[in-house]
Amino acid sequence: MVKFLSEEWIEIGKKYILEKLDPVKDLKSITTSLLGVVEHIPPDDITMNFYLELEGGKLIHFIVNTGDTFDEKEATYEIRGNYGTYKSVLQGKMSLGIAVLKNRLKVKGSKMQALKLIKPLDGVIVSLKEITDEFED
Amino acid sequence: MTSDKAIAVEKISFKDAVEIAKKGTHCGMCRFDFLESGVCPAGRKHGFLAYWPQGRMELVQQLDSGRVKPTEKLIDIVNSCSLCGICDKQCNFTTQLRPEKVAKALKDFVDNFDKNEFQNVSEDDILRGLREIVGEEWATNDPCIIASYTMSILPSNTKLNYYIVMPENTEQVSKIIRFANKNNIPFLPRSGGTAFSAAAPTVLAKGLSLEQGIVIDLYRLRKLEIHPESCTATVGAGITMFELQKEALKNKLRALAAEAGAHVCSNIVTTGIISTWGNRYGAFADNFIDLTTVDDEGDIKKHSDWERNNPYSTEPGFTNLSLTPHNIVTEAVVKLHPIFDDEEVVLVPFDNLRDAYRLLIKLGKRGVGLSLAVLSRKYLAEFLSPTLQISKDFDYVCKNYLKLNYVVSVICNQDDKKIVEDMVDYTIDQSLMKSLILGAPRFSTLKDSEFMKILSEEEDPLNAIFAGPMRDHLEKALDPSPENVSKVFDDDLQEFFKKVYSKPEMTDIVWLHAFRILPTRMLRQQMFMGPGGAMWTGDENHYLNWIQMFSDMGDKLNVEHSLGFITPLDHGKFAYMEYDYYYDHNDPDVCDRISKIVVDSMEQSLVMGKVLTILNYLFKGIYRKEHVLYPLAEGISKEEQELFKELLETVLGEEL
Ligand SMILES: Cc1cc2nc3c(=O)[nH]c(=O)nc-3n(C[C@H](O)[C@H](O)[C@H](O)COP(=O)(O)OP(=O)(O)OC[C@H]3O[C@@H](n4cnc5c(N)ncnc54)[C@H](O)[C@@H]3O)c2cc1C
Repeated sequence: MVKFLSEEWIEIGKKYILEKLDPVKDLKSITTSLLGVVEHIPPDDITMNFYLELEGGKLIHFIVNTGDTFDEKEATYEIRGNYGTYKSVLQGKMSLGIAVLKNRLKVKGSKMQALKLIKPLDGVIVSLKEITDEFED
Repeated sequence: MTSDKAIAVEKISFKDAVEIAKKGTHCGMCRFDFLESGVCPAGRKHGFLAYWPQGRMELVQQLDSGRVKPTEKLIDIVNSCSLCGICDKQCNFTTQLRPEKVAKALKDFVDNFDKNEFQNVSEDDILRGLREIVGEEWATNDPCIIASYTMSILPSNTKLNYYIVMPENTEQVSKIIRFANKNNIPFLPRSGGTAFSAAAPTVLAKGLSLEQGIVIDLYRLRKLEIHPESCTATVGAGITMFELQKEALKNKLRALAAEAGAHVCSNIVTTGIISTWGNRYGAFADNFIDLTTVDDEGDIKKHSDWERNNPYSTEPGFTNLSLTPHNIVTEAVVKLHPIFDDEEVVLVPFDNLRDAYRLLIKLGKRGVGLSLAVLSRKYLAEFLSPTLQISKDFDYVCKNYLKLNYVVSVICNQDDKKIVEDMVDYTIDQSLMKSLILGAPRFSTLKDSEFMKILSEEEDPLNAIFAGPMRDHLEKALDPSPENVSKVFDDDLQEFFKKVYSKPEMTDIVWLHAFRILPTRMLRQQMFMGPGGAMWTGDENHYLNWIQMFSDMGDKLNVEHSLGFITPLDHGKFAYMEYDYYYDHNDPDVCDRISKIVVDSMEQSLVMGKVLTILNYLFKGIYRKEHVLYPLAEGISKEEQELFKELLETVLGEEL
């Protein structure tokens, strides 16, 4: 059982992405960084974030933090949403694209650029979907 | 209690009731008093959709399909209806349906249902929390009530995993949102449901509707105050456009009007109020002085608050799509406009679109008129005709004998009227329009008449009928009277409709333009989808080619189609165009074709460029038009077109 946003989630996530995803084929050699802010995490209604950086399609950083900022690095994109929304996306009940269009996930920066990222990031999302199987109620 | 009249309501089987209900299109006209017949007392009292005629019709379908089982609340729902018949009058005017028969069948169904089989629905923690905010009566998880919201915010294929909550004020809306977030439950506001219902049978429902969670029904936010001294009104989110217009008129003022049953706040948010009065009165943020909003963290803000980020701007470009609102607008201070004593309608008939368009844009740029639009023949036929069949015949006569395919409709004062009359050879005036409304049934029977045959042999039939001696013959042939038009309604409603059509406003084109009670006739027992958008008017061919693209698409996919209207914007620099497709919302095959049209026409429009498509319009109403319409959109590149397709694929799936 791997719980969303746990240390284990990061470790297994990293391993999975590095081992199973081809930087060129699956991740289209993208270079980008993303801060995912997760709000209203039960049971104490806290905020956490994860920072993910890819260079030439290779995963460089995947880090989880508390709070809604990550001071060490400045991400190119920030997406922000409720724990419930991330859960729906990771459970495959809602696509990332529709979460953005429904304003459930808010993108900081250009929406055009962020939407361009959806396709290449698909592999990462699928990986995280694969490994995440436990959520707070 | 059942009134004596209830006994007279014709008894029909549940199956027949389902058939009637299926033809309903959730136009929402039964929720406000547009005929001065009163409004459903049960709906007014209890608020939830299941207590309104529209909701009962949906509920009957949902019970029939087995998606919902009778609950104890259902007994209360049927008992709240006294079969007073108000809904029949309202619905018949618009759609020719008889919702009272459906209500009666629902009563019979409940009477005959095994008393021990009604389900008891218990309160859970979420409902308890919502009730603490709005009071016991105004939050529910009852499946029968929930099911009545299907097709007008809820999709038809989800589990009924919802709560419906009816807040009374902004603070309650804020508390609901905070509560929903804390519990990680999605939420979505609902107002008149007119945009939801138009989207429901199509692929758009995927993005627009709520898949689970809390429906925030805004009907109870019913503040409405007119401030004549500042020509403004404060309008709560539960107030319809019709209700605002009625109060404004008492003060000799007028609001920028679109769909009568749309709620004003919602209309501001959703489309910035697309209206034929928009060239004069404005669009997007031109419409309001201030807004009270609740954001998705539950924070209450006003547009007028100092020290906040610019609330009037938005990112340009075609990927700036949003399928839900960014904020809930709970109250708006809207602008009102003076009504002149000498206002009148002038309609200029045309056989071809280019000439009509040219006149429209010329008038728009010169700032002539208050309301200004090209209306298609189909629109005229739908709006003026009391029944669907009459509208078809009306359309036929206009097309085949009169060659009356478009009108430029101008509401203006006498100075502007003179300008229009000087620019054209002939016009249709208020008096002839009155005759056409009261004589519509006769007009449609002129189909095979000698009179029409003679007329059609004229070189310019429009000239002959509107400027020549044949006009008097036409007026005589129409034999216009409230009595004659009322005869096309069911026997028991004829007396009522005679009175309705005797009222001056029912034939007053200025009033009808401002109160817009006729457009929902496009929804009589069928659906319409009206894609389009605002296009730059600098290149006439570009504009007309764009319209042709919609027409070709309708032909290709074999869907009934017609131009709806074109109306100038921003001093004629842009013009909004709606192109309509009419279809049977109970036929899944045609619903798929409509979905394809929505997506393909948007893609083609983006490729053509110089256009803000209707999907890009959505939820931009609170921004300044200067930020929404500018910079002028160029046609998208091949690469961007691919991105657009990918985007839609991730959103809508690959089925299109
Ligand atoms: C026959 C017909 C003719 C129409 N003609 C026009 C026209 O001429 N001009 C025009 O502009 N539109 C027109 N429309 C479209 C429609 O009326 C508008 O989109 C209108 O804004 C919908 O209002 P509503 O109250 O029915 O909203 P709903 O359908 O209840 O909601 C529409 C959307 O707005 C959201 N919403 C509802 N209330 C609020 C709120 N207070 N704050 C934030 N978000 C909210 C909902 O979540 C939903 O996403 C027409 C529709 C029909 C069916």
